[in-house]
Amino acid sequence: MVIKKGFLKRKKAQMKNKEIFQLLHKKNGQMKIQQMSFMLLGVFLFFALVGMIILTIKFSDLKQSATDLEEQNAMLLVTKLANSPEFSCGEAYGNQKTDCIDEDKVMMLKENINKYVNFWGVSNIEIKRIYPENKNIECTLSNYPNCDTIKLINKSSSGYDKFNFVALCRKENYKDSVVNKCEIAKLIIRYEEIK
Amino acid sequence: MIKNNRGDLQFSFAWIFAIIAGMFILFLAIYGVSKFISIERSSQEAQTAKDIGILINPLESSFETGKRIMIKTPVETRIYTGCNNVSTFFGRQTIRTSQKTYNEWSTEGINVGFSNKYIFSEYPVEGENFYLFSKQFEFPFKIADLIYLTSTKDKYCFKNAPKDIEEEIEDLIGKNLSENENFFTKDCPSESINVCFGSGNDCDIKVNTILKYVEKNGERTYYEGDALMYAAIFSNKENYECQISRLMKRTEQLSAIYTDKSKFIYQKTGCNSELEVELTQLENTAKDFRNSEELNLINALAENIKIKSEYGGCKLW
Repeated sequence: MVIKKGFLKRKKAQMKNKEIFQLLHKKNGQMKIQQMSFMLLGVFLFFALVGMIILTIKFSDLKQSATDLEEQNAMLLVTKLANSPEFSCGEAYGNQKTDCIDEDKVMMLKENINKYVNFWGVSNIEIKRIYPENKNIECTLSNYPNCDTIKLINKSSSGYDKFNFVALCRKENYKDSVVNKCEIAKLIIRYEEIK
Repeated sequence: MIKNNRGDLQFSFAWIFAIIAGMFILFLAIYGVSKFISIERSSQEAQTAKDIGILINPLESSFETGKRIMIKTPVETRIYTGCNNVSTFFGRQTIRTSQKTYNEWSTEGINVGFSNKYIFSEYPVEGENFYLFSKQFEFPFKIADLIYLTSTKDKYCFKNAPKDIEEEIEDLIGKNLSENENFFTKDCPSESINVCFGSGNDCDIKVNTILKYVEKNGERTYYEGDALMYAAIFSNKENYECQISRLMKRTEQLSAIYTDKSKFIYQKTGCNSELEVELTQLENTAKDFRNSEELNLINALAENIKIKSEYGGCKLW
């Protein structure tokens, strides 16, 4: 009886040890899976982060190159805009002139500017008389030609300016005859930074 | 991974989990990289298209008339020059490029638009080197500078060209014949595109200088002046007609500006151009323009204005 009791006790203890061992083994497996999941999550997040950083750098590069292209466009446009048909003097003031703006024509263009707002692809176009002295008076049909600045397109107050010096010519009456009067002006173009 | 008593492979849950998760990460990485490459390619092509648009700016100032410039691309490129005459009042010139990589043409190109440009070329024009030249279009005042884009791969042979055209082409060619030359008036390469003036054999493009039309791919387009004649030679009918309608919109607007200027100067100084009626007529005719067959009508008006302007009073342009 005593032997049987002792045997049962040992068996019980063995069973308990086995359970503990199995539990420990199971927990160990779960730990490994957890470790692996964390590792995979970490690797995934690391690559996602690196990818996002690369993308941010690339897109800021792209914005910069788009702004550079806008600048390049404005720079080349400002040198040729005075010779485009809407601005150029042509032969209206004698021989064909380059970099000469017909002020009378530009005033009429200002009256019809709605259709031209996006035509040249820049945000502002302005012509500023620099000689004789500029008093910063904006030109309208009522004060023309006693004014200095013709604002043709005025879409934005921010951005970068590019300018070119031009001759600004108009027809005027002098001692009962019509004469051509030319002054020095600055043709200013503004382009916006790509955001 | 373990082996059981019979030698079969047994995958533990951890291994299965690692394989599935690994595959998922790999798939995401490959998808991301391929998307990134495609975006990068699109941006590169859009940049090339914008570059072309910007590079032709000096050609428009008319300083460079009668001179060609060459554009070189690092890889074989297709340039698609499109035309849209409905999106805005003046319409839009679109440029799209596609580049050849690993013997395949990309399809992701983005259209870059310009309202103040008029480019005439084949659709598409293909190669690594391209020639650009421009000519002023007057009707009777300057309307725009037309730009002609050709690939050095496409050799054009001008047969029986009138003296002035032949001289102009020879000026463009220059004294020394370069290896990239694509315009010929004599000793044409065998694979040339033959442009025949008047009659001729083996013609790909026929130019009738009396009835003023260009016949290409069995289609007829009408022109007035040399600038439009070159335009009809180097582009297809669809592009040509669309660009002409854009040019007519600009003619309409410039006519309105000159009419206003004429009235304004008369009020201000008493200087009379006597062109207001004709300019209004030109504005209305340009407004109703439908296709190149009507060009002769507008040209008659323009010629009349030109003569009156030359011998009239106050000069407007």
